[in-house]
Amino acid sequence: MTISRRDFLIRSAGVATVSAMVPRWAVGAARRFEESVVAANPNRTLVVLELMGGNDGLNTVVPYADALYPQLRSRIGIPVGSVLPLDGRLGLNPVMTGMKSLWDAGRVAIVTNVGYPNSSLSHFAARDVWHTADPLLAQRRGWLGRWADAVLSETQNPLSCTAISQSLPRTLLSDSVGVPTFLTLAAYQYQTDGAHPEDSGNQVNAFLASSGEEYEIESTPAAISGVGQDAIASSAILQTVGTGYVAMGAYPDNALGAGLQLIAQIINANVGARILYVTYGGFDNHAGEDADHDPLLTDVSGSIKAFFDDLDGHGKSKDVLLMTWSEFGRRAQDNGSNGTDHGTAAPHFVVGNAVAPGIHGDPPDLAHLDANGNLQIQNDFRSYYGTVLTDWLGADAASILGAGWPNLGFLNRSYA
Amino acid sequence: MGITWNRDAAAHLLRRAGFGGTPKEVDGLAALSLEQAVASLVDYDAISLDAYETALAARGYDLTRLSGLQRWFLDRMAFSPRPLEEKMTYFWNLHWTSGLSKVKGETLILNQNKTERALAMGKFDDLVVALSQDPAMLVWLDNATNRVGRPNENYARELMELFTLGIDQYTQTDVTEVARALTGWTVTGYNRATNYDAATFVVRADYHDGGSKTILGKTGNFDGYGAIDVILGHIDSAGSVSGRFLGGKLWTFFAGTYAPPYVVDELQSVYTASGHSIREVVRAILLHAEFYAAHARKAWVRSPVEYAAASVRMLEGQSDFSAAANALAGMGQVLFNPSDAKGWEWGESWLNTGSLFARVSLANTLCTNRGAKGTTFDPAALLAGEDASKAEDVVDLFAARLNVGDVSSEARAAWIEYMNANDDGTPGRWTNTPDNVDKKVRGLAHVLLTSPSFQLA
Repeated sequence: MTISRRDFLIRSAGVATVSAMVPRWAVGAARRFEESVVAANPNRTLVVLELMGGNDGLNTVVPYADALYPQLRSRIGIPVGSVLPLDGRLGLNPVMTGMKSLWDAGRVAIVTNVGYPNSSLSHFAARDVWHTADPLLAQRRGWLGRWADAVLSETQNPLSCTAISQSLPRTLLSDSVGVPTFLTLAAYQYQTDGAHPEDSGNQVNAFLASSGEEYEIESTPAAISGVGQDAIASSAILQTVGTGYVAMGAYPDNALGAGLQLIAQIINANVGARILYVTYGGFDNHAGEDADHDPLLTDVSGSIKAFFDDLDGHGKSKDVLLMTWSEFGRRAQDNGSNGTDHGTAAPHFVVGNAVAPGIHGDPPDLAHLDANGNLQIQNDFRSYYGTVLTDWLGADAASILGAGWPNLGFLNRSYA
Repeated sequence: MGITWNRDAAAHLLRRAGFGGTPKEVDGLAALSLEQAVASLVDYDAISLDAYETALAARGYDLTRLSGLQRWFLDRMAFSPRPLEEKMTYFWNLHWTSGLSKVKGETLILNQNKTERALAMGKFDDLVVALSQDPAMLVWLDNATNRVGRPNENYARELMELFTLGIDQYTQTDVTEVARALTGWTVTGYNRATNYDAATFVVRADYHDGGSKTILGKTGNFDGYGAIDVILGHIDSAGSVSGRFLGGKLWTFFAGTYAPPYVVDELQSVYTASGHSIREVVRAILLHAEFYAAHARKAWVRSPVEYAAASVRMLEGQSDFSAAANALAGMGQVLFNPSDAKGWEWGESWLNTGSLFARVSLANTLCTNRGAKGTTFDPAALLAGEDASKAEDVVDLFAARLNVGDVSSEARAAWIEYMNANDDGTPGRWTNTPDNVDKKVRGLAHVLLTSPSFQLA
């Protein structure tokens, strides 16, 4: 049952008794790989927002000028007169006023028709594909986990990759970099007996000793021990990140707003965060999408707007880029339950000062659906990832994703 | 490969077929033969629940609230005299889960749990039909709105992908055809304005698509029963697809490892020969030499609810499970409210830095609550009659009780050092006084419950 075989032994160099157990080839291979990746742009932070469940792209970035749209979406279509026009062909869902104001400021790139060929339309397979950037599901580590192994493994910074999530997103699963994972910081510490605070240090030491035993490399106990070490190492810093922080954006009262605000606090605290990850769920709208989807997009749009307002207010937006993903889009035709079944391609948002603003890719081609009634893929998701790796993180995308994925040009390469 | 049936094996069996055993329970099981021990767990209908059900009802959990449902199920896990009944009900809760956030009706969720308990060890076909007609499931995966001319694929897909066959064993066409067959299986009395809890299953002929469907190569005017028959009868070159799927998943749940191909074949044969009997597949797993192999011991990562139940049970504590219910979100498993149809991932993905700290806090409540209510244990009672004069004695006693004696000598030394340490961390010497028991034995229990070894069953 090992989906995570993080080699905490490499990371926990302080545990001297076990460092000799690290096979030399493992360290050597990691170093060689690292040398092949340009560790550029060390101050830049990438924020990844996962929209879990399969966001309906057609009701998010609406092809309002296409006469087929209201036909396919006769039950739950967005009234074409109400969209927030981006150009003569596409418009934002009218609830996305925050995103529209960022768009108007030239801080949004929208990449259309993103996906991969031959999807099984399974949530769970599709999620794994997007997390690992491998449609064959042969990769164990996540795409950013592989980047982290190459670039961050020797930084020993416990907060270089952090997830605001109930579970560790596989995108960040790596061999060498621990990922603090939490939804709130309220209880993010090793709590001990309130009646005997004088014994607390002894307990924490005993816990660390239990978590630092000589476990077999890649074993489950070793992975759990690594989590324990990461937890203690990150908690001291994270308990302080909110100190002196005052929100300068109007975060909406929902889990995504809270998550992005935590991320803003971490960025504001200058703790060396490189990848910050947040998930937001509820997008699997098979039924009742007419009632359920707009509130989700309201949350997404409002939270992102507040996040950038907050970063702007703290003078921190220069080095931050946010990207969205979701495991798939949805069926072009709505179903009889006022919802949509699983689909394929969808648009995604990239937000920040470094974008090449505008729409990258064509509008969805509603006249040429595939055999299941789904949209055709125009931009492979590995090109979407690769563009971020290359132009934002300064990495050698081919070493992480394989070669041959064209850069989509949605980032400004002369941005500095 | 033979099985050495001894105390360690009995403790292993109790961790997997239940939620961990007390020393007395381990002794009792080890005194039986392997076959008797497994039968005592598997053939649980012979164990009376009357006294427990009476006591449970007297505790007054509010079953009209999510937290009450969670506490009620956790209580059953920790204290039912039929541990495997609860473990199997929990398996089906993980397998065929539904979430209150969408279903809305607490009674519907409770009834689904009762259905899963009643059919937990029966014929798989009966469970498939019952869950496909379960009001909570019909709402959760939208089959309630699946009608002729306007099919909804949600349940049809997961029926094959998650519940019976596994991914890649069917095509998208099969999904749409099964959806057509399931049209008309819906609910009545589900009122979004006034009462979610009154929903009952109904077959609506006027919603049903009576036309011909082709499912997994078979053609006919299938309805829901017909589609389920085709799915459960689906055979490929390797035999019964559902037999392999179910056998493999049950194996992983109990053995904590991926099933070797020969084991999958064996379990499929048991499934087929027994007429799809879940009980016989489970019995075969618990009697299997591979189940007792060294690499299967302590190979299962306890889920949050297993952790909550096992920690109370193995310390012979008491709990109203209020603290556990409150801790579920932080630990990453809001029982009865998963975020999607698959429920939760198993294994190491349960543990990240935040969810580990949430376990630390819950264990701290259990270990340090000195009041009469809530979640408590009695360290002095567990030491009564034992030699606890040296720190080593106390550490070994509690490590054995919590089944964490498998750790390295360094970890054991660190625990002994903790027991002996002065407040400033300097070496001192443990003495068995009431004050020390109240401080250091509670602290030791907390350290052991939060150690890597206790995260594993």
